[in-house]
Amino acid sequence: MSKPVTIIMIEDDEGHARLIERNIRRSGVNNDIMPFTNGTEAVNYLFGKDGSGLDHKGNALLILLDLNLPDMTGIDILRRVKENKYLKYAPVVVLTTTDDSQEIKRCYELGCNVYITKPVNYESFANAIRQLGLFFSVIQVPPAAP
Amino acid sequence: MTADATRRRAIGQILLLAAGFLVLVAISASSVMLVNRAREDSGLVVHTIEVENQINTLLLEIRRGESAARGYLLTLGPEFLADHNAAVAAILPDIDKLAQLTSDNPAQAENIRKLRSAAQDRLAQFAKEMDFVKQGQPGGAVALIREAAVSDTTSSIRDVAVAMRGEEERLFALRNINADRTQRLASRVTIAGSALVILLAAISIFLVRRSARARDEAEAQLRDNNLNLEATVDERTADLREANNEIQRFAYIVSHDLRSPLVNIMGFTSELDELRADIFRRIASLGRAAGSAPVPVLVGENEPELEGEDRQLSQDFSEALGFIKSSIAKMDRLITAILNLTREGRREFEPVRIDTRELIETIVTTVAHQAAEAEAQIRIEPLPEIVSDRLALEQIFSNLIDNALKYLKPGTPGDITIRGRTKLGFAIFEVADNGRGIDPKDHQRIFDLFRRAGIQDKPGQGIGLAHVRALVRRLGGTMSVHSELNNGSTFTITLPIKWATTNRNRDT
Repeated sequence: MSKPVTIIMIEDDEGHARLIERNIRRSGVNNDIMPFTNGTEAVNYLFGKDGSGLDHKGNALLILLDLNLPDMTGIDILRRVKENKYLKYAPVVVLTTTDDSQEIKRCYELGCNVYITKPVNYESFANAIRQLGLFFSVIQVPPAAP
Repeated sequence: MTADATRRRAIGQILLLAAGFLVLVAISASSVMLVNRAREDSGLVVHTIEVENQINTLLLEIRRGESAARGYLLTLGPEFLADHNAAVAAILPDIDKLAQLTSDNPAQAENIRKLRSAAQDRLAQFAKEMDFVKQGQPGGAVALIREAAVSDTTSSIRDVAVAMRGEEERLFALRNINADRTQRLASRVTIAGSALVILLAAISIFLVRRSARARDEAEAQLRDNNLNLEATVDERTADLREANNEIQRFAYIVSHDLRSPLVNIMGFTSELDELRADIFRRIASLGRAAGSAPVPVLVGENEPELEGEDRQLSQDFSEALGFIKSSIAKMDRLITAILNLTREGRREFEPVRIDTRELIETIVTTVAHQAAEAEAQIRIEPLPEIVSDRLALEQIFSNLIDNALKYLKPGTPGDITIRGRTKLGFAIFEVADNGRGIDPKDHQRIFDLFRRAGIQDKPGQGIGLAHVRALVRRLGGTMSVHSELNNGSTFTITLPIKWATTNRNRDT
């Protein structure tokens, strides 16, 4: 791994974002976390001005994605990421309140790597995020395709 | 077209037919009558001719007698005598016959009387002539003949005959006119009657056609109305379905969106809980530093010993957090329940043939443990097979059986019976228990979402029966409860035996 993995967190609810970040940190993951609170900004960052995603060539990214965004649905972002030749190797973790089985199935079909439902029970939530942090600390994230 | 008008029209038709029939009868009767009269008239005409004929015959016989007498006088030939005798013999019978024929006419009877006396006179003269001839006195006979030729007798016979003929001719003319009139009348009556019948028939046909047209129009109208009605029903159904979908989406989105802040509330409450430990540890250490109290004994790793007010503060803090957490947990359960309900509402039902008894036996097996704990026995009577959605049916019966087990009377062994029968295309299922029962004033309430009744000593959200009733309705059935407090409950479910996927289910 030439570059450390950057975690892209696309989450419109700042409270959720804070809780997620806190619990990731608690699990001992110290990678950079870039928070985005809406889909447009996240898309602009991910795909760059020309929409090609060339900016991230050679970067290792891990995307944390909420499905319910104010300006677009996370599913669209997921699809675009998985269709982009530079970004498609980046693992995508969908972290959302939606526990509809159809939605979950659809995300996996589009190439999502992990799907986590945000439980209201905080212990489970914190636990899930910490597990995710542990997961982050061991998975190998390939750099974006050359 | 009103019913009144229809009835009037029907009565009009009947009257018309009756009138036609009456006219026909009248025509037939008058025809028969007139034909009879015509026959009578013709008979009279013939009769007149016969009378004239008879008069002529009589005169001929008299002439024959005269000429034969003359021939005999001239030639003395016996053939003339025979001829004369034959003619004379025929005269009186001819007069009798004539009298008979004209017996109805007093004028003619008078004439006949005159004729008879004249003829008798003439016959007497004949007899005298013949006597003269037989006695060989032709001169006397000739004189007699001469006398007779100019006498009253001959002329009176002629006069009477002429009078009779005249009378008969008068009668003939009269009767001819009568006969003609009768025939003309008959033909007129027939023509008029036929015309009337044809007219009535035409009116009838017109009326029948008019009512047929009216009926056709009414039928067309009815068809149109039906189509319109169907269209209206479809439209309304579509509207309702749309509204229902809207509500489902609304419930789904709202419950989803409510969950998001709830995650935060719960998360930061837990964070606060963590902070609480830090804060009170610090308060404890500060208090210890400020006062000259002895070193406090650590109760736990994170729970420093607190004094007086601080301890109270810490307990209040914990209590508040505890309430917040339990409320969040409850809210989460409710939201989850709504989500599940809306998800159920969106699920498409699939009608399959179901052996209800087997299905319920399976459910009973899964609750066998609870049943044993409650010392309850569950009896399943023979149940009808139905075509319906398996999952929905499972949920319906497992909810009802669960409830029956859950709300048994403490201290009484439970007895739960599941019965079934069919009626008019519907299968009626009953789940009866001997449990604590439901107060009649709560019968409606128990089917409402998040509402419960009776002593709240069992966990639950008040969702089961609301869910069951929603399912039963979607399956085209109805549901009711019969129960009294402390006397057990019977839930009755009526479902179509053969449920088909309808529009109702085509909500996506």
